Amino acid sequence: MIGNDIVDLALARKESNWKRKGFLDKIFTLKEQFLIANAINPEIMVWNLWTRKEAAYKIYNRETGIRGYIPLQLECFYENATLGTVSIKEKIYFTKGIIENNSIYTIAVTNKNNFDKIESIDSAVTLLKNNGIPFVIDSVSKKKKAVSITHHGRFWKGITLLD
Amino acid sequence: MNKEQTIEELKNIVQPYIQNQEAFDILTEDTDFINDLKINSANLVDVILDIEEKYDIVIDNEAMERMVNVKAALEIIATKLSEKN
Repeated sequence: MIGNDIVDLALARKESNWKRKGFLDKIFTLKEQFLIANAINPEIMVWNLWTRKEAAYKIYNRETGIRGYIPLQLECFYENATLGTVSIKEKIYFTKGIIENNSIYTIAVTNKNNFDKIESIDSAVTLLKNNGIPFVIDSVSKKKKAVSITHHGRFWKGITLLD
Repeated sequence: MNKEQTIEELKNIVQPYIQNQEAFDILTEDTDFINDLKINSANLVDVILDIEEKYDIVIDNEAMERMVNVKAALEIIATKLSEKN
């Protein structure tokens, strides 16, 4: 399974004040707050970790059917600026990020090999939904393929997994 | 506490963060903050912090996890206020 999440940093600056009292405590564990406090650019670290949690949550939500506002349960292990894992209960997801064009984009997968099987989908594609979860019908095989969609500000990203 | 009044107060709190005016105009207990009002998930923290400030309550992790719709928010506000008194 896959999940993705993007933050437009220009829009995030307008929408969110991450320095607001209590903000970080509500969504980041103490370890994550330590990473933010010690980062060269704390703002980038905030949204880097946030997109990891969001991308991982999309998989968790689809795997378990559990819905909730659970950023503190989704704990990031930060390998480096682009790689890491997110753990929740007994589950672990792998994340890969891209920081470019004033945006931070993270893809999460259940299996590391799947990073090589990610395919972008076009924003014009017809999206169908099952219980709010988007999918597409493959034009060749006619099979349902799970997709993950994210958009924020100037950015839209959709991905699916190659068979 | 009067539920209708709390819904009005809650509407005032969430209004700055909504991205779907139509859903906001017909808001009910079943309205979902993210799916219906299209509140950005990072802004849900602000909604929670604003609720804490407005009612002088603390929304713990367990309560926060359930805070995805109007109904849950109303229940949490009522519970936390009753614990305070």
